[in-house]
Amino acid sequence: MIIIIGGAYQGKLAYALERFNLTEEDVYACNDEETVMPQGKRIINGLEKWLLALVRNDVGIPDNFINNCKDTIIICNDISCGVVPVDRVLRRWREAVGRALGALAQQSDEVVRLFCGIPTRIK
Amino acid sequence: MKVFISGGVKNGKSFYAQRIAKRQQTDSNTPLYYIATMDSTDREDDERIIRHRNEREGWGFTTIEQPRNIENILEKCDYDGSFLLDSLTALLANEMFTPSGDVNPDAHKQIAEGLIEVISKVNRIVIVSDYIYSDAILYDPLTEQYRRILAALDSMVAQSCDIVLEAVYSQMIIHKGKDVADFALS
Repeated sequence: MIIIIGGAYQGKLAYALERFNLTEEDVYACNDEETVMPQGKRIINGLEKWLLALVRNDVGIPDNFINNCKDTIIICNDISCGVVPVDRVLRRWREAVGRALGALAQQSDEVVRLFCGIPTRIK
Repeated sequence: MKVFISGGVKNGKSFYAQRIAKRQQTDSNTPLYYIATMDSTDREDDERIIRHRNEREGWGFTTIEQPRNIENILEKCDYDGSFLLDSLTALLANEMFTPSGDVNPDAHKQIAEGLIEVISKVNRIVIVSDYIYSDAILYDPLTEQYRRILAALDSMVAQSCDIVLEAVYSQMIIHKGKDVADFALS
């Protein structure tokens, strides 16, 4: 499992596609409504959106999620650096993303952070 | 050297940017230009501009007001000078959101072209931007569009610069140009 993080629009997906020689067809694009994530794609893009769907629907991350992602590249926006949101859902979302990334990063082989299109390996 | 600096608010971007620009000027013995991008719309802006001006006093900067059409600085300055452009964030806001309240759909293209012209013609420039991409807020489409365009400009400028720095509480993470960045940070 490889985790690619960074702020919004920092070139995370472009980096993953180029480095692993993949195309859009290899990508599952998360959205903020679908709580069930289909398996089988090499890249999960926008994990934070899936987590927002889970929070909105009061659903936890499935127990087997990390196991199912052993060969997956997970891309997630880092949303941890702003003011605490007034909205309760966004507040819970922000914490859910932080907790999920912490757990995933521990289990991952590699963590890469993108800054203005430039990758830095942090694990 | 061409240097790009971004990072969070009050993390020391402007201070370091001034130091690097000044250092480049001293080493090359060329004019030192501050490209001021803020377009004042009220008293709060006026006060901020005065505060920034006071902070720069004594550094030897010639201030060039250029809130739009950034390429026009080339007509007003010696290309061989040492430039400080602070910031992309303000430039984009000025070009994108017009005084009449309309949104300029060509802002991205105009600034990108202007910046490429400036960066390719000058030898010494420090460009400052703001890292506004890591908060847990769902923005309206217009703000989201602004963030997306600023990020694209950031990446474009980072690509054409020799050194890319991220300011983290007055410490600089060197993302690009580790072998040449020492001069700038010493």
